Amino acid sequence: MQLSMAVHKSFESFSLSTDFTVSGDRVGIFGSSGSGKSTLVSMLAGLVEPDSGEITLDGDCLFSSEKGINRRPEQRRIAIVFQQHCLFPHLSVKNNLLYGFKRCPEQYRSIDVDALVAVLKLEGLLGRGVTNLSGGEKQRVALGRAILANPRLLLMDEPLSALDDALRFQIIPYLKSVSEQFGIPYLFISHSLVEMRLMTDTVLAFAKGALVEQTTSEQLARNRMDTSPVGYINLLKLGAPSPADGLCSYPWGAAHLLISACSERTCSMAELSSKDIILFKQHPEAISARNLLQCRVRSLFNSGRKIGIELECAGNTLIAEVVQDAVNELGIVPGNTIYAAIKASAFRLLPG
Amino acid sequence: MLHLSPTDYDAIRLSLQVAFAATLLSLPFGFATAYLITFVTFRGKMLVEVLVNLPLTLPPVVVGYFLLLLLGKHGLLGSLLNDAGIRLIFTLKAAVIASAVVGFPLLVRSLRIGMEGIDPQLINASRTLGAPWYDALGTVILPLSLPGFIAGSSLMFARSLGEFGATIIVAGNIPGVTQTIPLAIYEYASSPSSETMALSLCLVAVVISMVVLFLHELMAKKMARRG
Amino acid sequence: MRCLLSICLLVLVWTTFVYADDVNLSVAASLKEAINELSDKFTKTHPGVKFLKNYGASGALAKQVENGAPSDIFISANVEWVDYLKSRKLVDIASIGTLTYNALVFAGTSDKASSMRDLIKLEKIAIGSPKSVPAGEYATEAFKRAGLDKQLAKKLVMAKDVRECLMYAEKGEVDGAFVYKTDALQAKQAKILFVVPQELYPRVTYPMVLTSTGVKNRDAVAFFAYLHSAEATSVLARYGFATR
Repeated sequence: MQLSMAVHKSFESFSLSTDFTVSGDRVGIFGSSGSGKSTLVSMLAGLVEPDSGEITLDGDCLFSSEKGINRRPEQRRIAIVFQQHCLFPHLSVKNNLLYGFKRCPEQYRSIDVDALVAVLKLEGLLGRGVTNLSGGEKQRVALGRAILANPRLLLMDEPLSALDDALRFQIIPYLKSVSEQFGIPYLFISHSLVEMRLMTDTVLAFAKGALVEQTTSEQLARNRMDTSPVGYINLLKLGAPSPADGLCSYPWGAAHLLISACSERTCSMAELSSKDIILFKQHPEAISARNLLQCRVRSLFNSGRKIGIELECAGNTLIAEVVQDAVNELGIVPGNTIYAAIKASAFRLLPG
Repeated sequence: MLHLSPTDYDAIRLSLQVAFAATLLSLPFGFATAYLITFVTFRGKMLVEVLVNLPLTLPPVVVGYFLLLLLGKHGLLGSLLNDAGIRLIFTLKAAVIASAVVGFPLLVRSLRIGMEGIDPQLINASRTLGAPWYDALGTVILPLSLPGFIAGSSLMFARSLGEFGATIIVAGNIPGVTQTIPLAIYEYASSPSSETMALSLCLVAVVISMVVLFLHELMAKKMARRG
Repeated sequence: MRCLLSICLLVLVWTTFVYADDVNLSVAASLKEAINELSDKFTKTHPGVKFLKNYGASGALAKQVENGAPSDIFISANVEWVDYLKSRKLVDIASIGTLTYNALVFAGTSDKASSMRDLIKLEKIAIGSPKSVPAGEYATEAFKRAGLDKQLAKKLVMAKDVRECLMYAEKGEVDGAFVYKTDALQAKQAKILFVVPQELYPRVTYPMVLTSTGVKNRDAVAFFAYLHSAEATSVLARYGFATR
């Protein structure tokens, strides 16, 4: 997928002006509320007309103020998964799903309805009305509906923001697998750096109506480490836990981590903030933290006023953040051995 | 207990005929108008809104008089219709038109409220899923406006049952032909010795109105439970 | 404060008594122009007398009087409504007299009918509502006696008084209207198409009477007497009313 947008739009209190070209099948749009990302999405879908500019998708011009082109939403084949799901309350789940499918010209219908229903686990819900579904069920139906319209681009406008944590991480696998399996490129809009890293490769970061960064999702998270209140979130893949003295021991790569929360699953993911890693130049004698890892410094990077340190620990990567003075004091340079201490309570096990 | 003369039964039949016809006639126009006002921006929209609401604030006799000027033998439209052999004044058709005009603002108002309650994102969703504006109108807006339809139709129906001022001017008081319940009661009211008959007819009018309003409430509750 | 209020109240009440010169007339619609002229003439010779005139269908007027509307003199277009008020003891029986007479005609703007028989060919005919308008009662009586009432049933447009009938006829919205000869003479566009044969309906009589309040009103009594005078009779004759 290749998308070019060079548009300008003014409202009473806000104006959006941007010019970018991005290619890839998993693109993210990052920004907080008021950054203009929703307006961008609306303009791309044809729901809002830019004041001026040009929008081109895969070589097809969707909008051009100069040439007087403005393709109607129903002609653009860009489907949206909304934040508030927006399912049709007067239609059943099945009819919601098929709404876009029925309106898609025959030659574009490449998605198998039954396969999609199976992937999204919606078989049991088909005959039901949509108003009494749970939040997660509704979002899956919304996703299914958008995909079944066989769009050439899927816009996901903060699809996880209205869900609680447990649901959020339940839905992410669906989002990814469905679009990979059916080959539909997507534009994922969110204000969460973690979601960006899980869902996208390239990210366009917006603030106050203008594009401020275009980079990979990993790089964005690192760049935002200083300004983010939670720092850089390390995502750790853990194996099945075994109990250990009131805590649980999880296999993590070649090492084990002691974590205060115990999961029942054979594999889970945990979040660890870069702010919660304390570094020691030498092996400390005894510390209260239950986790002490021997790591090798791989590289350093700047992030605002902080320094991010990429560590290699037992075959895994960890990012810690420290101030410049600490780097000097500990004499941290790539290649050094360093010890990372983490409290058992610092980890946050991700539900689902 | 109930004294009703044959002309009274005629009046009841005519009132119901006029109310049904006026409501059915107005529904498509009312829907189109409400849709335009709610979803389309165009220049002069405020003027349209004012004109639609005008019959609500004008005395019905004024509405009737304007209709007479418009549709009478020498009127703007009336002369054309007359040449085509169509007579409207002093026929039941005129009573239907009078009720339709007077009740139209009520219908549009209810429909508007219903339509404004529709989440605009739903319409956006249908557009992005491949539905042109008329498809979105028929498959999303129309079904979701149903509560507005029901509320508007019942209000319109009830208003038509009670319509007097405009009706007596354009349809005249013709027993068996255009004399609806309000006209019949008016005639009784000017005559000193028909108290019981007037009261009987009044009672029938009240009962009909109550039935309509009950049905309206029932439908509204059903809608609320579904939505 | 309260003192001021009671003074105001007293003045108000006193002033209404001062205007007891007012004469309230309840008169059948067909007499409007004639009575207007007669009351004007009377005012010239009796300055300070103020007339409050209420014209309408005799039945409607009778009902108003019964319900307490102020009325000193009641002039009806048939005997029925005077009898009605008489039975309810609202009039001074001694003063009952006849003002004048009239004839019923069929008037219209087009030449479609020239006799009672022709009426069945017409589409719409205006008459005063027989429930309260004497002209309408006379007309329906004529239909019955001519054997035409069933055939004319759905053609009849009910008007609230003769003037409204005439208006329908003048506008051409009906093919013709049953009005009094005196009304037809006043019409601008409508003309008398035929006179209803007298044998088909009782003579149009205008009884007049002083009401129970009117008999105590000096000016009302004086005007009532004036209506019996030769001058009044000649004015009425000029408008087309019959004297006997």
